[in-house]
Amino acid sequence: MDKETKLAEISEKLKVLLVDQLALEDVTPEEIENNSELFGEGLGLDSLDAVEIVVMLQRNFGLEVKDMENNREVFRTISTLAEYVYEKTEEA
Amino acid sequence: MPDEKLIQSRQRGNRLGIWFFKVLMQLSGLRGAYALLYPVCLYYAIFDRSAVCSALPYISRRFPEMSTLRQWWTSYRLFVSQGKNLIDRHALVAGAVGFDTAIEGYDQLKTFSDEKQGFILLTSHVGNWQTVMHSLEKLDRTVHLLMKPEMNPALKNAVQVDAEESRIKIISPEQDMGGVLEVMQALDKGDIVSIMGDRTYGADSVRVDFMGEKVNFPYSAFHIAASAKCPVVVLLSSKTGVNAYSVNMAEVLWPTLKRGTDRKVQLQEWVQKYADILENYLLAHPLQYFIFHDIWTDAE
Repeated sequence: MDKETKLAEISEKLKVLLVDQLALEDVTPEEIENNSELFGEGLGLDSLDAVEIVVMLQRNFGLEVKDMENNREVFRTISTLAEYVYEKTEEA
Repeated sequence: MPDEKLIQSRQRGNRLGIWFFKVLMQLSGLRGAYALLYPVCLYYAIFDRSAVCSALPYISRRFPEMSTLRQWWTSYRLFVSQGKNLIDRHALVAGAVGFDTAIEGYDQLKTFSDEKQGFILLTSHVGNWQTVMHSLEKLDRTVHLLMKPEMNPALKNAVQVDAEESRIKIISPEQDMGGVLEVMQALDKGDIVSIMGDRTYGADSVRVDFMGEKVNFPYSAFHIAASAKCPVVVLLSSKTGVNAYSVNMAEVLWPTLKRGTDRKVQLQEWVQKYADILENYLLAHPLQYFIFHDIWTDAE
């Protein structure tokens, strides 16, 4: 599977997980754009949703908290998050 | 427009007063420094209406049966108690005096530490935080304070926060994602994260019952603990003698959040447990609660 296809798959999985794990009632996975901001404007997530996202990445992609670099850019949009998940899972 | 001369005069007065206390402590020890507190606090109790008004929301609820005069007198006693707390803090930082600290619940925390189990230390405006930090040094873990750095410059100096060799660091909630990533990483390493439990400072909160009325207490500590599967240790302390403190870290909560149920409702139940623990503690140690803010009005 090439990188683009893998990224698309990861992005779709992230959207489904976000809606489900964060109990987002006003949006469906299909309505979330890859370049929408997750925090603040855009999806409007807050710091407590960030807790859920960290746990979500641990449980669903096997990412350890200690591996999550202090680079908040990766948590900016679905695309950046998917890219990060792809890199980390390919490294493993 | 503020009177610049008045502001400068007050600042000078504060610096002079602090210098005077330091010299007195070096010459006469804690008792000597305490001796000056009584007339100073009496001055504030009589002439600084705003100081008394800031204490009354708590005093009036803790002692509803007291007359106005007795509540005023209790406010004075609270000022003295807080003054001793501040003097002790300086003495501790300066290494000028030692304190005997009786710690309840230490064995459990030692077990957490030995097993590299991170935990959240839920603090309140009770007792002397600095003596607690000193007692935690034995655990050989880093303590991360989740707080805005500007909230307490005195605290930073008092416990040498962020100094290279310091085991006390600050995580600011104002950064992206509210510092959550750093908090989770700290807990994952087995470190301690300290979060204030009885003031929101703008954080998300829930309404709970506290001393007969509703207040807003923050819930982030319980949310993070439930997600990170770590315990919340409620920290309480009180001054028990001139050179003695008791620290209670025996109340350990293991919050969980069930799926399918409103998470805020669940978090409210956990925060209520904390509020009940704190209220119960204040029954025995009423003059150790230094909350000079009407937290009940904030909840309206």
